[in-house]
Amino acid sequence: MRPDAQTVTQWQARLPAAFGPGRATRALRWVAGAAFLLWLGWSFWLFDITPARLWNGLEGLATILRLMVPPSPGELWLDILKGMAESVAMAFLGTFLAALLAVPLGFLGARNIVTVTLLRFSVRRLFDGIRGVDQLIWALAYVRAVGLGPLAGVLAIFTSDLAVLAKLYAEAIENAEKRQSEGVMASGGGRLHALRFGVLPQVLPVMLAQALYFFESNTRSAAILGVVGAGGIGLQIAERIKVRHWDEVAFIILLMVLTVAAIDTLSGALRRRLIGRREAAIT
Amino acid sequence: MLELQNISRRFGATQAVSGVSLKVPAGQMVGVIGRSGAGKSTLLRMINRLTEPSEGRILHDGVDVTALRGQGLRDWRTRCGMIFQQFNLVQRLDVLTNVLVGRLNHRPGMLGTVATLFKHFPAEERAMALMALDRFDLADQALQRADTLSGGQQQRVAIARALMQESRIILADEPIASLDPRNARTVMDALRDVNRRDGITVLCNLHHLDTAREYCTRVIAMQGGRMMFDGPPEGLTAARLREIYGVSEAEFNAQSAVEHAPRATAEAPAA
Repeated sequence: MRPDAQTVTQWQARLPAAFGPGRATRALRWVAGAAFLLWLGWSFWLFDITPARLWNGLEGLATILRLMVPPSPGELWLDILKGMAESVAMAFLGTFLAALLAVPLGFLGARNIVTVTLLRFSVRRLFDGIRGVDQLIWALAYVRAVGLGPLAGVLAIFTSDLAVLAKLYAEAIENAEKRQSEGVMASGGGRLHALRFGVLPQVLPVMLAQALYFFESNTRSAAILGVVGAGGIGLQIAERIKVRHWDEVAFIILLMVLTVAAIDTLSGALRRRLIGRREAAIT
Repeated sequence: MLELQNISRRFGATQAVSGVSLKVPAGQMVGVIGRSGAGKSTLLRMINRLTEPSEGRILHDGVDVTALRGQGLRDWRTRCGMIFQQFNLVQRLDVLTNVLVGRLNHRPGMLGTVATLFKHFPAEERAMALMALDRFDLADQALQRADTLSGGQQQRVAIARALMQESRIILADEPIASLDPRNARTVMDALRDVNRRDGITVLCNLHHLDTAREYCTRVIAMQGGRMMFDGPPEGLTAARLREIYGVSEAEFNAQSAVEHAPRATAEAPAA
């Protein structure tokens, strides 16, 4: 069974590609690797990233960490709780509305659903445009437009997530298996029936999973939105960082970790309930 | 010599295999028949230790296989190759790499592991893989992705992988249940070929008695987790078959064919 040297050479002559990359390819790879490392080193140099600076930064971090222990709710703990609740509510409202509206938009942006290229193209480019602007920028704009407070935060989450979710949904729909909707069509169903019964059951679990993940992620990013005045826990954090009440900041961070963990557990249970079991048909 | 001593397996309240004792001398080609749920798969999987036996021992040339751990267990798995109903190839890898998977345990130590992780296989092993593929007329497909091959071709790639392991035993769990008759024949011929030419012991789960009769010198019939028959295929007469399964051979084959109908390979998300 084991080949002798002659057999090996014969096979090398017959199927050279089966013996891994040739000498030229390997040399090219080394050159490309070296070039990448050089480029990486150059960007370190460009931003003046030196071990000394990193070390000093670590010392600063250590000071902050020392000030954080023990975490304390402070005197205004009711404001913290209120802010946290507001953040969760903002994230929920923004994500829920975005996820809902992203479903029809996702269908509009899917290649296998909308065959009119111009319409689909403009819908997709619109998503791209909105996605190009970060959530924080939207928040700043909405704070100017509708004033300080959670409404600006909800609108910011809604706008940025709508574009991302619509794109993700459109991709999920494009990846849906054709055979299932073909079966619906072959039984005399119309195009809408094919979407409703052939495509939607395939993509709904993906959509739900993504919406739940976005809700969790938005609860985290709601902290940042507060910093620019768009409501929620972020404002509480920003105020305490300004006056260096790091122990209270630590308390807020712990609270956020707990909240996100709770949401994660809940959404996991929801996901299992709605899409996990095989015997449970959805929609 | 492979020896099973009173081997049993429970899954919760179900007794999948109960008290099977068996001696298989090296070089035999054994067919295991039985309905779906008779314990054939569990039996084979226990030999490879993919499933742990609840009771009993498995010995190979005097070595207690059931007690093996770590490297010893991996060595044993290399020595008894496994062929699956759904081929269990890595679909997105090329055929050659799939066959080279059979060599992963042939270079011991950290360095060997690192080399294989970077797909570093010596030219000798690559030539060996090509020879194994060539034996089943698949050398020209060596650089294609595994999922571009037909079921029969994929199953022969799986046999080539087992050959690369230089195993002494091949356990084939319903190797032809997902294949059409023509492909089933090429796969069974390949198994017979490695049995005869390389002297590899073959244990093969089958659901068609005719196949077992044609290819195997010894047949084991399972029912409800128990071994009901062990002997040459001629011994499995119509009367004996009716005694075990309560049906005629034609009915048995028809039932098994339905039970073993190929499952859809890509299962859609729960819908």
